Amino acid sequence: MHYYLIKRIAHLILTLLIASVFTFIVVNAAPGEPAEVLARHLYTGLEEAAPPELIAKVADRYDLSKPLLVQYSDWVGGLFTGNMGYSILFKKPVSWLLMLHLPPTILLTTVSMVFATIAGIIFGVYSALHQNKISDHLIRAATIFFASMPGFWVAVMLILVFSLWLGIMPVAGYGWPLFIILPATALGLHAMVSIVRIMRTSMLETMEKPFVMFAKVKGLPMKKVIFSHACKNAFLPVLTVIGMSFGALLAGSVVIETIFSWPGIGEMLMKAISARDLVLIESTIMVIVFLFLIVNFVIDLLYHIVDPRIIYE
Amino acid sequence: MKKIYGSLVFLALVVYILAAGCVENGGDIDGEMVLVVGDMWRASSINPGDGHDGGTFITEKAIVIETLVGANGSFSLMPNLAESWKQISATVWEFQLRKGVTFHNGDEMTAADVKTSLDNTMHLSPSTAKLMSYDRAEVAGKYTLRIHTKELNPLVPGVLHHPATAIVSSKSYDADGSFVRPIGTGPMQVESFNEQIGELVVVKYANWWGGDPGLDRMILRGYESPSTRAMMIESGGVDLTADPPYSEIDRLGALSDIHVERHNTPRIYKLDVNLAHETMANLHVRKAVSYAIDRTGIVDNVLYGVGAPAGGVFLPNMIWSNKNLTPYPYDPALAKRYLARAGWIDTDDDGYVDMDGKKLHVKIYTYTERPGLSPMLEAISANLKAIGIEAEGVSLEYNSMNAAMADDSWDLYLSAMELAMVPDPEFVLKSWYTTTGLENKPGYSNTDVDRLIAEGHFISDLDKRYDRFREIEAIVYDDLPTINVAYYGVAIVMKDIVTGYQFDPTAHDYRIDPFVTISARISFFGACGG
Repeated sequence: MHYYLIKRIAHLILTLLIASVFTFIVVNAAPGEPAEVLARHLYTGLEEAAPPELIAKVADRYDLSKPLLVQYSDWVGGLFTGNMGYSILFKKPVSWLLMLHLPPTILLTTVSMVFATIAGIIFGVYSALHQNKISDHLIRAATIFFASMPGFWVAVMLILVFSLWLGIMPVAGYGWPLFIILPATALGLHAMVSIVRIMRTSMLETMEKPFVMFAKVKGLPMKKVIFSHACKNAFLPVLTVIGMSFGALLAGSVVIETIFSWPGIGEMLMKAISARDLVLIESTIMVIVFLFLIVNFVIDLLYHIVDPRIIYE
Repeated sequence: MKKIYGSLVFLALVVYILAAGCVENGGDIDGEMVLVVGDMWRASSINPGDGHDGGTFITEKAIVIETLVGANGSFSLMPNLAESWKQISATVWEFQLRKGVTFHNGDEMTAADVKTSLDNTMHLSPSTAKLMSYDRAEVAGKYTLRIHTKELNPLVPGVLHHPATAIVSSKSYDADGSFVRPIGTGPMQVESFNEQIGELVVVKYANWWGGDPGLDRMILRGYESPSTRAMMIESGGVDLTADPPYSEIDRLGALSDIHVERHNTPRIYKLDVNLAHETMANLHVRKAVSYAIDRTGIVDNVLYGVGAPAGGVFLPNMIWSNKNLTPYPYDPALAKRYLARAGWIDTDDDGYVDMDGKKLHVKIYTYTERPGLSPMLEAISANLKAIGIEAEGVSLEYNSMNAAMADDSWDLYLSAMELAMVPDPEFVLKSWYTTTGLENKPGYSNTDVDRLIAEGHFISDLDKRYDRFREIEAIVYDDLPTINVAYYGVAIVMKDIVTGYQFDPTAHDYRIDPFVTISARISFFGACGG
């Protein structure tokens, strides 16, 4: 197990390094000369042209004319020493901006994931246990419907119904717990739908397994058969979906955060991309990659907890 | 028994949820006039020196700081923190400051404060320094400031109307020179700023030189999604907002407790014509395009009435605009005649004009950041198709569009450009229409225009100066290096409890009127605005 942990941590570091190179290349390959784009965003406005001397001044002031390799080594070197760089657009250290905006995103994605997992498991199990009944058909139809609906549309509909018609939820804003209900629902719906379907399929398969049959024959109460034996084993594929969905939730949060005026990293990242604030984009993406890797690492460890037969060597 | 406990726990949870997170709301609260504004952008900073929009937000929306020079509805410069100004030599302007103006910390505003503020602005914003040809400021008396420019520059007073040049006290910075909060002279002063959620709370400054503001407190929050702004005002979460989705404006205006005002703002939707292309270099083709565009239809159906059909470059209410320049009428028949004069006729009856076996194909670019542009591109393409021009529209993110246009394959470029960054006609006309103009995308070159603009630079008598620039505006109206489509607009949406709002047409989006008033309002969940 220890060897496995060391190996995974080494993989994590290697993945981060590869991601840093990839992020740096992609961000720098995006259309638009960073100094020119920043000069417009900082001084003249989106459409108004920036004079060449202003562009030169911006490039000089923010070291944008250095060779790319030097820029990369400066940035990565800074990351190793805990310095994530400085946002030219926001005129603040990146670490400060992340400290402000990362917690709301983590809060939103975590609550969304918890909602998606709990609701997904409940509906998935219920659907499997009532296979081919009306309730099963309804749940399956609903999952197809919600899987087809784009997140932003769901978000607007939720606001329309719960905020404008019923008046029981705020339209937008940041706070706990009232403000998070609608954005977390809108964000987590797609993940929930995936979990429902995976849980249902997995549960149906598990219910046919010999150990479940044996438990039934042994005369164990049905509740115990389902929750102590079947659910636990059917849960493994759901863990995989949770890990993969986390990345989708982070990506989806960009739109949801804008609609609900949630002060996460999504909106900040969009502005940074628009203004080609390279260091902010690169560092934020690295943090997202890191979070994704950590979540999936934890999920791998959870496999062992859920099913002790899975042993990492 | 279990059920009763369960119910109690559930009830307590509901009460907790409903009570949690509710923050101050607008209206008459305990005798305090509180206005909640849902702005279009979330403020990330309240330092007026932070970037292009920092000054605009804190000057025009939060009304915390003020500029030396003001402007009225016709964009004529007016006294503000400066009572008067004059050019005392080719490169020196003298400003007499208003006496008795105090900063929010109680200090009197003097020429020394203004010099420090301007020096700092010019250091932070090289573009403003260049626009003003700023050399240095000189304190010539307690209330007299002289601004030295590097060259003769008639735009100096106009630049001093720009929010980036608004005056802040040096006490806005701590001993290390780090910005703390803006201490200005405006009708409202900063009470708190939550950087995480971008919420700014300002309160009335009782010693404001301009009178007694109508508001005691104002809360500004940013909602960057237009749909969210619409729903926020509908739910009562904000009292005043701007630019909901255009398609929502009529519906919002029809609600019993909301009213909508549409105003023009100093920005214009226009098509730049690529004169390097032989087809577009033909004036007849440009005339055809201009007559083919249904400007009224576009304003009514694309912009939902937020804007107005454009004639000349400048808004008709701008004092220097040429009032004789009316929008080109929508006349497809005349447009076709112009095409025929240029040799473009539909010879094969396929609905498209052609010459030497080639269809007239135009590629139109625009960007997606402004909501009106992409649908406007569709409408213009349809208008052009109706006269036999095959139009290919391309909408991209601005930087990607710039990169795509670099191959010079574009024929027309649809944009929305600012008209009064400086309230003077020279700034726009020089930049757009002189041969070496920074914004001369079409590659237009007219020796008469170059000469008239160069001469106009030295005319200081305003009547003569404006007449000169009206002449230039008329020339480019006829030459059509740019085809003006519509003046930009803004929709201000207010709760009916907000009264007495006066729109300032010189503002960049809108300006909060310090004399606006607000009466009682009731909305529970609207109060939880974040």
